[in-house]
This record gives sequence, structure tokens and C-alpha cells, in this order.
Amino acid sequence: MHNKTNTPARSVIAAALALPGLLPSSAHSQVTAPNATLVQFKFLYYKDYQQSGDRMTVKSPALYLLTPITDDWVFEIGAVYDSISGASPYYHTTLSGASGKGIHDARKAADVTVTKYFANRTSVAVRGAYSDENDYRSTAGSVTIRHATPDQNTTFTIGGGYSGDSVFPTVGTPQTYYKRTYDAIVGISQVFTPNDTGQLNYYYAHQSGYLTDPYKAYWGVDNRPMVRAQNALLARWNHYFESADATLRTSFRYYWDDWDVSASTVTLEWAQTLPAGWVLTPGLRYSTQSAAWFYYDPVYDPILGAPFPPGYLQNPNGIYSADQRLSAFGAITAGLKVSKAFAGGWIIDGKAEYYEQQASWRIGGDGSPGLETFKAQMYQVGVTRKF
Amino acid sequence: MRFAKTLAAVGAALSMGVASAQDVGKAAPAFDLPSSAAQNVRLADLKGRVVYVDFWASWCAPCKQSFPWMNDMQAKYGAKGLTIVGVNVDKKREDADKFLTGTPAKFTVAFDTTGKVAEAYQPKGMPTSFLIGPDGVVRAVHIGFRDKDREDLEREITAALGGARQ
Amino acid sequence: MKRVVLLVVAIVLVAGCESMGKVQPWQKGNLAKPEMAFDPDALEARFADHTYFSKEAASGGAGVGGGGCGCN
Repeated sequence: MHNKTNTPARSVIAAALALPGLLPSSAHSQVTAPNATLVQFKFLYYKDYQQSGDRMTVKSPALYLLTPITDDWVFEIGAVYDSISGASPYYHTTLSGASGKGIHDARKAADVTVTKYFANRTSVAVRGAYSDENDYRSTAGSVTIRHATPDQNTTFTIGGGYSGDSVFPTVGTPQTYYKRTYDAIVGISQVFTPNDTGQLNYYYAHQSGYLTDPYKAYWGVDNRPMVRAQNALLARWNHYFESADATLRTSFRYYWDDWDVSASTVTLEWAQTLPAGWVLTPGLRYSTQSAAWFYYDPVYDPILGAPFPPGYLQNPNGIYSADQRLSAFGAITAGLKVSKAFAGGWIIDGKAEYYEQQASWRIGGDGSPGLETFKAQMYQVGVTRKF
Repeated sequence: MRFAKTLAAVGAALSMGVASAQDVGKAAPAFDLPSSAAQNVRLADLKGRVVYVDFWASWCAPCKQSFPWMNDMQAKYGAKGLTIVGVNVDKKREDADKFLTGTPAKFTVAFDTTGKVAEAYQPKGMPTSFLIGPDGVVRAVHIGFRDKDREDLEREITAALGGARQ
Repeated sequence: MKRVVLLVVAIVLVAGCESMGKVQPWQKGNLAKPEMAFDPDALEARFADHTYFSKEAASGGAGVGGGGCGCN
């Protein structure tokens, strides 16, 4: 998206989280059909920039609906409209402002999930998602099965998904590229005490096809492998502090793939309940990642100059990328969310976050040199109604 | 070796929930709890009546749906010998009171804030109802409350009352 | 090394349940609070996932369904 090719049904992943736990049903991580309808609208304003200038701006209104159909069937629908504009780097942090115009794109995406709850504390959710923008289309589907033990203290999850994407860049000779992704998840959620719950998931994804950024390939030098195997281990823990009437949510994710990227991400959120239905949630996130093996620093070939990596002439069809996202860095997000509940099942909330990536913030190795600091601000406002 | 033992222990722990704790056919455990009225509610005082004991909490979503139905049942069958007792398990009485303000109960409500009665009855989910006959023996146990359960539950109540449905 | 640590965490989590005593259905009041869900806000979780997916190289862990993003 945001760098001109983007996310489709990718957010489908988060929707898999839209399991019963999102409703004020009885204790989460149980497999019981929710019995209340929920409608949610949220608007995101996102803007990123670096020292040498503004980059992308995204405005996204989004909608989510969850409704039980009968005692055992639940229907969910999500939709988002991303309005994207701005410039993104051709290579490293050299902005594409040369032509002065930048881009303007709109992405529409929607997904539907149908879940059936069975008597033996098992649920099966089938989801379909579609995303469309001027140079990218994605169709995806998934199935997720959950099963809880009789005491509902342990829940097992297994899921599998497929996504078929086509890319038709607006530069270069008109051409359509394809990419497909298979992904799977296995996980356990466990209630440990009346105030503690944890989750551990293993996630695997296999991408194949055209994985390069066509704009960076056209304006700079970018040619990525045609396969990417990804793994993630995610551990989460929520603890309720009775004396404070607050919840601490923590997560740790370890990620590794066959592009040699490995990353560790920690998040902390403190949800503080206050009188009159207010909840204040400050949050912190830290992530550190290594660079992909084919990422090259902004040191260019002595003869060809930027954007060519050294030795390019000897291997012009080699695997290269100057994409900052594949560099080594550490990143911090600090945010604050405020929400207020009103009578009649209404909740209004707002969130503000600041995000920054810096090579020097990397832990476990050196950050990639020569890149401008990447910064972003994110603001969200939302309203939720529960019936 | 240790890993295998751990796995076996986990397996045993996980499978423990299979047998129903408060089995049908056993005598219902006695209770003596504070209620919304002046005196306590005692199961012993209700001997000779059909008692529908329902464990509920302010945080239990299906409980909201079950209250109007229980109000209905109490109104219909109270004169024929039915007493419904909604045993609340909230640790804080205010949470239960808040729920009752929005969802009134036209039946007896008892407060089991320490959870001792719940421990005796071992409800397997929230809510869980125990239908107790006039002889003090548990006739039926129902976990959860769904729309489609109403018919079956009402049939069990009328059977216990020994009469035809009204 | 990190993978070994996480695997140990996994085994400890599973083994730990037996030593902690079962949590009974009537004791789950605090667990039912919206803040105690892993992702209490559906759209907020989607936005976060999407944002970090587009700006970092790592992704995934919470659910399936729909592959990667064109942002490569």
C-alpha cells in the first residue's frame, strides 16, 4: 500500500482474530457462540515521513459487523477503503519526488466469515476475502477450526488459508504477474488462573511467484527471489490486576524466513479501567529485525552510480533489493487509546500512535547504515454498538 | 521420561472434565444463601416443591436471555409448585445488582459471592441449571442457555410437576 | 537459540496447567472482561497488522487467510 503495491486480503489475518473473544460473551478463548450483534466503524489516518520529506498518507474508513444468525451460526463482514497518496522511495530513502507527482491510489477490500458452532465446543469458520486496487488484486480464503476441552480452559486452533494475487503495475510494459500464498496456523489458548490467560501460536506461510516490488524494480534495482517461506511463533499473555482494575496485555513474536530475515517483536498494553465507563490504554511496541540477505546498503557501483549495487554489471540478473523494509533496524511505537462506554451499548474510542524506525535501535546486530530515519503517525477514531 | 509423565498428566487433567459432576439422580446439595429478600434462601425450606436452580453471573452473556424465560416460567408454574432460584456467583454484589437493574428477576435470587454453593453443585458452564424434584433429587442438568433449549426445559419442568403443559 | 527458548516456553505452558489447578466456570468473571481478550478491538487489530505488514519485513502469527501483501 503504502509502497504502491498492497495489501489485499492480508488483513484477513487479523479478522481470524475476530473469534468469539471479541464479544462480551462469557470468558474469552471459550468456544461458545456469541449471542449479541456488534457493529463497528473506525477511521484511520496514517502518515509517514523522513527527514528529506513526507512520504505516504493513508486515510482508511473501515467497517465491521458480527451477527449471530441462529443459536449456532455467526456471520461476520469486514470492509475497508484505503485512500493512498504520496511518494515512496525508489530505492533506499531516495524519494520518488523527482517527477514531483507521487501516487494516488484507492484500495477496496472486503471479507466475509461464516462460523458454525457445534455442541462439543468446536467451531469451524470459513472466510473469503477480496481486495482490489489499481495495480493489485487479491482473492483469498481460509478455514479455521477451534476446539475447547470440556472445562473450556484449553482451546486448540488449527487453520489453513490460500491467497491468489495478481499484480499489474502501472509502469513499464503492461504485464500481469502472479503470486500465491499458502498459510497455516496451529495454536493453544489456556486459562491459567481466574486472572491469567495465555496463547501460543505457530504460523507458517509459503509465498511463490512475483514477490518483487515492480516500482522499485522499474525506477531502481529490485529483483527478489520467487519463493519465500515464513515462520512466526507468537506468545501472548493477559493478566488482570484486581487491585488496580486493569489488564496487562503482552505479546512476543519471533519471526524467521528463508530470506534470512529474523525479527523479534514485543508489545505491552495496559488497559486501565476508570470510573464512568472510561478505559485508558497506553501501549508500547518494540521490534528488531535483520536484513534480507539480498538487501544492499546505499553504497553504489563506482562506475554506474546510484541506484546500482556494486558488481551489478557482473550480475545484472542477480537478486537485489534496496527496500528499507528489508533492511536491519529497530522500531518503537508508543501509543495511547482512550475509550468511553455509553448507555445502550455504545463505545467511542480514539487512539494516537507514533512510530519510528532507526538502524541504531537494532538489537542483536548492526542496523543497516545510510538510511534516513523512518517515522509515522497513526490516528484512529471509532464507534462501536453492541446490541 | 519427564516429558512423557508431563504429557500423561496433562492428558489426565484435560480429560477430567468429561464426567458430569453433579450427576442426575443424586441428592441436590443443601444451601443457605442471602437473597434479595430479608431472609436467606434455604433449599431445605423448599422440600416438596420443584426447584429450578440456575447459576448465573453479570458477566455471562446467555444469562441475559435466560431471565425473561425464567420470569415466564415462574409466573406460569409458581402456583403449581415451581420455585426458581437464580444463584448469582459474582464476587461483587454490586455487579449482580447492576445486572438486575437492567434485567429484572421475577424469581428468587440468591447470592453466592464466595462460590461455595457453586463448588458443591459444580456447574460445567455459565449458566447451568439444575432441576430438582420435590424429593430433593436432581432430575436434569442443562449447561448453557439457547433459544432452542426453552421447549425441552419447559417440558422437563412440567414433567417434574406431574402435569400437562399449560 | 531463540527457537529453543520459545519451545521451552511452549512446553512449560502446557506442563504448567496441571500444576495450577483448574479454573472453574463460575470463576471466569474477570476473564470475560473485554480488555482480557487477546484482540478486544477487531478493526484496531486489522489496522495494526496491516500497518506493520507494510512497513516491516516480519508478519504473521495471529491468524490465516490471505496471503501476503503486494507490498512484498
